[in-house]
Amino acid sequence: MIGIYNNRYQVVIRLYALYSLIFFIASLLIECHSAKEKEITIRWQNRRAIGISIPKGFIDTIDADSLEKQLSVRLTNQKTAIAGQYQLGDGTVIFEPLIPFTRGLRYVVWLNDKRLGEVSIPALDSNDRPALLGIYPSQDSLPENLLKIYLHFSRPMRERQSQKYVTLLKNNNDTLSGVFLDLQPELWNPDRTILTLWLDPGRIKRDLQPNKRLGAPLQTHNRYKLVVTASWPDEQGATLEKDVTKSFVAIQRDSLSPNPKKWTLLEPKSGSLQSLDVSFSESLDYSLLTETLSVIREDGANVPGRWQSGEEEKLIRFKPNNVWQSGRYKLRIESRLEDLAGNNVNRLFDRDITRKDQRATSESFTELLFKVR
Amino acid sequence: MKRTYALLTVACAGWLLLATTTHSTRNQYGLITGTPEIKSINALTFGPDGVLFIGDGKSATVFAIDTKDASAIDKAAQVDIKNIDEKIAALLGTEAKNITIQDIAVNPTSKKVYCAIQHSDGTPVLLKIEGDKITPVSLKEVAFSTLALTNAPAEDAKDRRGESLRIASISDMGYADGKLLISGLSNQEFGSTFRSIPFPFTKTQDQASLEIYHAAHAKYETMAPIKTFTTTEIKGKKYLLASYTCTPLVLFPLDELKAGSHVKGRTVAEMGSGNSPLDIVTLKKGNDSFLIMANSNRPVFKVRHKNLEAYQGALTTPVEENFATAGVDFVSLPLTNVIQLDKLDDSRMILLQRRSNGSLDLWTSNDRYL
Repeated sequence: MIGIYNNRYQVVIRLYALYSLIFFIASLLIECHSAKEKEITIRWQNRRAIGISIPKGFIDTIDADSLEKQLSVRLTNQKTAIAGQYQLGDGTVIFEPLIPFTRGLRYVVWLNDKRLGEVSIPALDSNDRPALLGIYPSQDSLPENLLKIYLHFSRPMRERQSQKYVTLLKNNNDTLSGVFLDLQPELWNPDRTILTLWLDPGRIKRDLQPNKRLGAPLQTHNRYKLVVTASWPDEQGATLEKDVTKSFVAIQRDSLSPNPKKWTLLEPKSGSLQSLDVSFSESLDYSLLTETLSVIREDGANVPGRWQSGEEEKLIRFKPNNVWQSGRYKLRIESRLEDLAGNNVNRLFDRDITRKDQRATSESFTELLFKVR
Repeated sequence: MKRTYALLTVACAGWLLLATTTHSTRNQYGLITGTPEIKSINALTFGPDGVLFIGDGKSATVFAIDTKDASAIDKAAQVDIKNIDEKIAALLGTEAKNITIQDIAVNPTSKKVYCAIQHSDGTPVLLKIEGDKITPVSLKEVAFSTLALTNAPAEDAKDRRGESLRIASISDMGYADGKLLISGLSNQEFGSTFRSIPFPFTKTQDQASLEIYHAAHAKYETMAPIKTFTTTEIKGKKYLLASYTCTPLVLFPLDELKAGSHVKGRTVAEMGSGNSPLDIVTLKKGNDSFLIMANSNRPVFKVRHKNLEAYQGALTTPVEENFATAGVDFVSLPLTNVIQLDKLDDSRMILLQRRSNGSLDLWTSNDRYL
């Protein structure tokens, strides 16, 4: 009997121990969970750390009006409070700095002199890199009075870097200095994926001092290599995977304006979605090409569609959104369309005003007619 | 009792004055309260009564902002901040390599320094500097007006004259005689997008967009973008003194700059090859005026105004000189790597300079450079 009682007693004790263990683990879990809720967390937007949330539990004692006076966020190694805005959220205080937090840096939240906690902004994944999609003009023979080079990146890049990361080598040997115009701010498209680099126009324009003293940046028959160094950072600090180069040879000066009358048009068929192919006898400006052309119906309405340049910018294709209707059409070319040397349809880049054959004209556009049958 | 009345009268007068001032400011310049959508800050310049013009190249728009910083002071305080980029970076919670100082402008009334910053992701920030104190300027709920720098050609665009280029960036702005002068750069075409816009901005756009040419030795003519400019007076006549991206310094009579006109300037100097002008200001010492010009690849240049007045020719033959400059005589000041400068008062300027030890300092010059 005593034995049975003892056994039962032992079972009860064991059960108690088990219950206690379960209770302990459960409390631990709950505790861990609530600890997580008490952490300072990062607020993200478009992969940028735009703010942090500080649990209200951290700062119960202060009222909403004095948040800015008593709370501060600082870099770990700095005493300066970061400028930004504090807002009361649901159970948290949100701090948004004027610019996003920087990846790879650590920040500390202070309540007066009391350290509330620290957040670390994770660095980007090492495979998360921008790419240089293209260098334009894509042709490998370029006129010695080439005016512009475009660099097209896969995502927004950091500005004011081109002088550091773009070099031009002559005959695979000499690094040329002063070839590109040092323009600050640089000329980027609005989403900062396409950069325009000007070859120093002071050296291209005849009879200006830089041209007289240093000559044109490029000389006919020489070989050049444009090198874009891999360490160019994008807006978040990630760099290109590898150096990108473009080799080309300089050919004779281009002293003629683009002449649409010499272009050839491959007419599409009625009822089809075929592209209208426009071929030029020369390469034209990569950036202006897709913006300066339009197709217009006989009644004056624009034909909606998409332009895409190809074959070293010697050709452009217009793909209509809807099938072609038979009839007469106009291809309108804005006069600001340029060739590689900055000569546009109306005038040469560098015009000799003493020559009658180099007079500038002033039409806004010219038109070529074509039929769809 | 008398004292109470006196106090009440003063208070009422003060309130009335304040009320009318605020009211008249809004009326005078047509500003309304709100939050301007500023996407980038390329250039800053002050207009009347603490109105700050912000040139936003990204959205091809100019904003006029009432800074409410319009109390005049007699003597401007010196500004001297060493490692200003690191101090600004700490205030913004990042490292100096991630920010750039786009432009600085001194409020001519309060003499406070305003500074435009751009973060590496493109976010713009406006800061105010007083002594060694740097504070952000809020652009939320401010009195402002905007003007879009339109690209559209005129309705009857048979003639391209007067049609402007698509702006990618604003290279310089200035305010003179009730007009905001803007030079813009296009990322597609190498041309001038100089405009003269009356302020207050009006609904009907009155943007004189100009085709400004300069000619090399009266033979080769090009339309080129202006990098920086200032306005100046020569023998009682007002001129625009503009420096081009391809280095010539060119004078244009201001009254000839009219919309649609084809204006050709007189080249008075060339500033050497491989160099890009950054900022020009005019300072005075006694009866002498000087143009001070910061350059990307040369020291700061100084030109005596009298020489500019005396130089009546246009640059016709290249002059071989040590600094590869020609035309009006320039003096190179012992100031190198000056990135920005603006006029603090008649004889002093503030300079943003990269020192030989690598430190980027904002400091105030005295008149010993004049």
